[in-house]
Amino acid sequence: MDSEALLDCVTSLSCIVTQTSTGLIVGSLLFLVATGLTLIFGVLGIVNFAHGSLYMLGAYIALSAFRITDSFILAAIAGALGVGLFSLFFERFFMRRVYGADVLMQLLVCYAFILILDDTVKIIWGSEFQSMGMPAYFQEPPVFIAGGVIPVFYIYLIGISASIGIGLWLLLSKTKIGKIVRAAAVNPSMTSALGLNTSLIFAGVFAFGGALAGLAGALAAPVRSMSPGMGFSILIESFIVTVIGGMGSVSGALVGALLIGLIRSFGSIGFPYFIEGIMFIAMAIILVVKPSGLMGKETR
Amino acid sequence: MKKRSQAVASQQRRQVIKGSVAALGLASIGLPSISLAQNKPIRIGMPTILSGRVAMLGESSRNAAIMGVEAFNAAGGLNGRMVELVIRDSKGRPDEAARITRELVNSDGCDMILDAEASSGAFAVHEVARDLGFLVIHTCSETSSLTADPKMRIPNGFRAARQGVHDAIVGGEYAGRVAKEKGLNRWMSISPDYSYGLDTTAEFFEYLKYFNKDVEVVNSVWPKLFQADYSEPITRLLQGKPQAIYSCLWGGDLTSFIDQASIYGLMKDRQFFGVNMADYAVLTAIKAVPPNIHSGNRYLKSIPKTAQNAAWCDAYVAKFKTMPLNWSWENAVGIDFMLAAIKQANGTDTAKMSEALKGMTIKSPFGTDGTITMRASDHTIIDYAIAWGDLTTKEPYMAKPNLGDWKTVLELEKLWMKSKGFIA
Amino acid sequence: MIAGSFTREALIAAIVLAILILIPFFSDSSAVVDFGIRLAAFAVFATSLNMLVGFGGMVSFGHALYFGAGAYSFGLIMQHFQLPIPLAFLLAVGFCVTVAALVGAICVRLKEIYFAFLTLAFQMLFHSIIISWTSLTGGDQGLMGGLPRPPFLGLDLVNPTDLYWFAVVVGVGSLLAMRYILQSPFGYTLRMVRDNPDRAKFLGVNVWRVKLLAFVLAGGFAGVGGIIMALLVSGAFPEFTYWTMSGEAVFMVLMGGVNTFIGPVLGAALLLGFNDVITRVTEHHGLALGAIILLFALVFKHGITDFIVQGWQRITGKKVQS
Repeated sequence: MDSEALLDCVTSLSCIVTQTSTGLIVGSLLFLVATGLTLIFGVLGIVNFAHGSLYMLGAYIALSAFRITDSFILAAIAGALGVGLFSLFFERFFMRRVYGADVLMQLLVCYAFILILDDTVKIIWGSEFQSMGMPAYFQEPPVFIAGGVIPVFYIYLIGISASIGIGLWLLLSKTKIGKIVRAAAVNPSMTSALGLNTSLIFAGVFAFGGALAGLAGALAAPVRSMSPGMGFSILIESFIVTVIGGMGSVSGALVGALLIGLIRSFGSIGFPYFIEGIMFIAMAIILVVKPSGLMGKETR
Repeated sequence: MKKRSQAVASQQRRQVIKGSVAALGLASIGLPSISLAQNKPIRIGMPTILSGRVAMLGESSRNAAIMGVEAFNAAGGLNGRMVELVIRDSKGRPDEAARITRELVNSDGCDMILDAEASSGAFAVHEVARDLGFLVIHTCSETSSLTADPKMRIPNGFRAARQGVHDAIVGGEYAGRVAKEKGLNRWMSISPDYSYGLDTTAEFFEYLKYFNKDVEVVNSVWPKLFQADYSEPITRLLQGKPQAIYSCLWGGDLTSFIDQASIYGLMKDRQFFGVNMADYAVLTAIKAVPPNIHSGNRYLKSIPKTAQNAAWCDAYVAKFKTMPLNWSWENAVGIDFMLAAIKQANGTDTAKMSEALKGMTIKSPFGTDGTITMRASDHTIIDYAIAWGDLTTKEPYMAKPNLGDWKTVLELEKLWMKSKGFIA
Repeated sequence: MIAGSFTREALIAAIVLAILILIPFFSDSSAVVDFGIRLAAFAVFATSLNMLVGFGGMVSFGHALYFGAGAYSFGLIMQHFQLPIPLAFLLAVGFCVTVAALVGAICVRLKEIYFAFLTLAFQMLFHSIIISWTSLTGGDQGLMGGLPRPPFLGLDLVNPTDLYWFAVVVGVGSLLAMRYILQSPFGYTLRMVRDNPDRAKFLGVNVWRVKLLAFVLAGGFAGVGGIIMALLVSGAFPEFTYWTMSGEAVFMVLMGGVNTFIGPVLGAALLLGFNDVITRVTEHHGLALGAIILLFALVFKHGITDFIVQGWQRITGKKVQS
């Protein structure tokens, strides 16, 4: 534990700015992935263990789309839509059948898909790692704020995540669709009895959650190399985020993602060798003290 | 070796029992025992990693081994006996590596093992070799202790791969010189947090400081292996304001790091010493190779600058449509040694082959002077070409390589082994 | 507990053990012997998990913690102290039981998915410690240099056949012990806690203590599986405590059947068998294994033994007691 370095940092404005922005950067992509996961759990009651593979798929689809169109925007949309469609297919034909079954069966189905997707990606794109590279219009020098450094690309990323977050909040709390989704989450049978097509709602939410993961993969593609099996680490992290934030709560995903981002960035100064351990300890503490998470409701 | 003959004797005993029991309809399970046909092919088992994150390790290893075996067979094999490679995927799990090794040797008639497993898998395979007594040549593990540590030594275990400490000595000398020229006294490092990363970085800095007393290592950051996001380590590096950065990140991690570092402007006005940069997978993936990069040679067609090396590289590309990687040349050397041992022992007797390998020198396109030797004292290779230099963005990538001088390397290695307590 | 029926079960176990012991005399295939050793390790591991999942209703995602703890503690004891194997065995199991008691005391209060995640968190914490404490555990490279295996009781565990006999005796013995525990009054109390914890509480059962005891026993037996594995590979690797190892145990239990005692053993045999065959035959083992798992999850919808039991019940009209 390097408390001296940590103290140095929190007393220096440039360090605070840099580390906080790093926390935001790490947190914003994590937020997108975790939101998808938490929505799927909140509305469908399913723990989507294949979520990390959806992230991976989004990255690879974006890679191919970028190579064809040379446009990052199109690549990102392709990633999101492609994974959204795949998630729809996955939900309709596979997850649907294990809705009633216990979590272990769902785990089994998801694990099977992780295996299949990893191999499929390897067959289509090869086993060597791939890199998309930074699109030309993002290749600008970084921005300096109070002595802290923030790359331009990441400012866009944070902006996009924030917009999605706000848009989602508006959607869920202010629109009719949002009300329907929230109703289906709380009481699916009643919602269905009221004449609403719950299976359509479920499919839609699953596809949307998957699309978010795919979008995150696509957005990260310019700076992160991709290889088959890259979904695992993001899966674990997004689980930690959703548990800490509260499974089923989008605001919890935000809080959890930011918290993890900040723990990582400040923790890498204070506890450079034990960051992973710290995150699992945080997860354990939440589970023991408030299992429903920081923003979760007690009932589920 | 003794255990093998015991096993054979008890096997014969069981065959008698088996014959009499078979009449009772209790069929034996498993593959038939080895026939005594004269032209039976020689089978070499090859456990490696063909799936998951590190799949390229297995593919590049396999390709090189196949090339070596095909050349050997084309030249007539061993008096007409052909060599067969039996390749299995351990998926990167050491217990699976141990399992498939046992299966290759016990059930699939493999007489020896070309072990293309990464570090922990190599240790697992090594223990199986210790127990069962077959010849094993490790081709991908660079951990020095695999051969340097006397506890690990077995008469039938060898390594045909570069060794971390050799690389560090050559790199330290080169970097020490560059640091003196450019006044680089303030250093930091970013390396993956696992044995390879920790040991390699420590060794590099040890020799850097040995060759240049003015160097100061201000701080080190240790991201996790396969970590996708390097924002925090990069910002730590920025805050440390080093003049030079060392890294032994490799493959996709190195690519991600360089891509992310460039949007932070980390490399501006800094020298970067990335030992794993000069690797075709990385060089072709990174779209924007930063200036001021120095590297060791993982594998480059131009190092050593010989016709043989260029020819081997061209043949590899023609056959597999992809550039060779570090693991490729290591496996090429490994299979060459193995086949040479078979020739010298005129067969597959483990004791004879092991004896032949001790101190054996073979011609190799990857040797500093055209040859590579399997050192008798600790069963690892020396005299392979190690070079450091600064990199450009296209072939030959390292225009002015500084080839390591093996006399210096061996002297310093001896001191290192003493300091670790490996030799008295 | 019906004394008569347990004697019958012990007899069955003895017969099975005798058959297993005789196999190496009829087949000189080392593949059989190796498979037997691995099956022993995983059958015990998977059955110990089912004590929690099937019989206790406690889904644990972090059971590999004890598998790894068994392997590492046994390995470290053998490497550092010159102890006879049976003593090291007992000490290692004791270590697992202690860790399970500490972790379980915190975990078993939680419900369902939270319990699962907390066990996972503890397991990953243990994994992080093993990876970081390089000086003790070898870090990501595992325990290097092999385990000394001094002969005892005429067995030399370096010899695969001797190890097979040891593994088979320990395996069948552990399974018998777990069967005994599950058929005892404690076992039935555990089932009651699984089916209706509130009712159990009203009947005066200390639910927390029952669950904790089950957790501790399961952890101890998982450690036994880890020790057998450590003897097989002559070492211990961090992969033994990774969540993928927990996942494997879960799949063995699911594919074999959660509602029968012998289900996980069958599931272990199936999964190991599939793995071995698939890796020999194809490079795309992810596709192959994934397809097989989907078959179980979506078509059979139950583990094999549950499938068989249901079929049997339908045919004969008799209800089978698990």
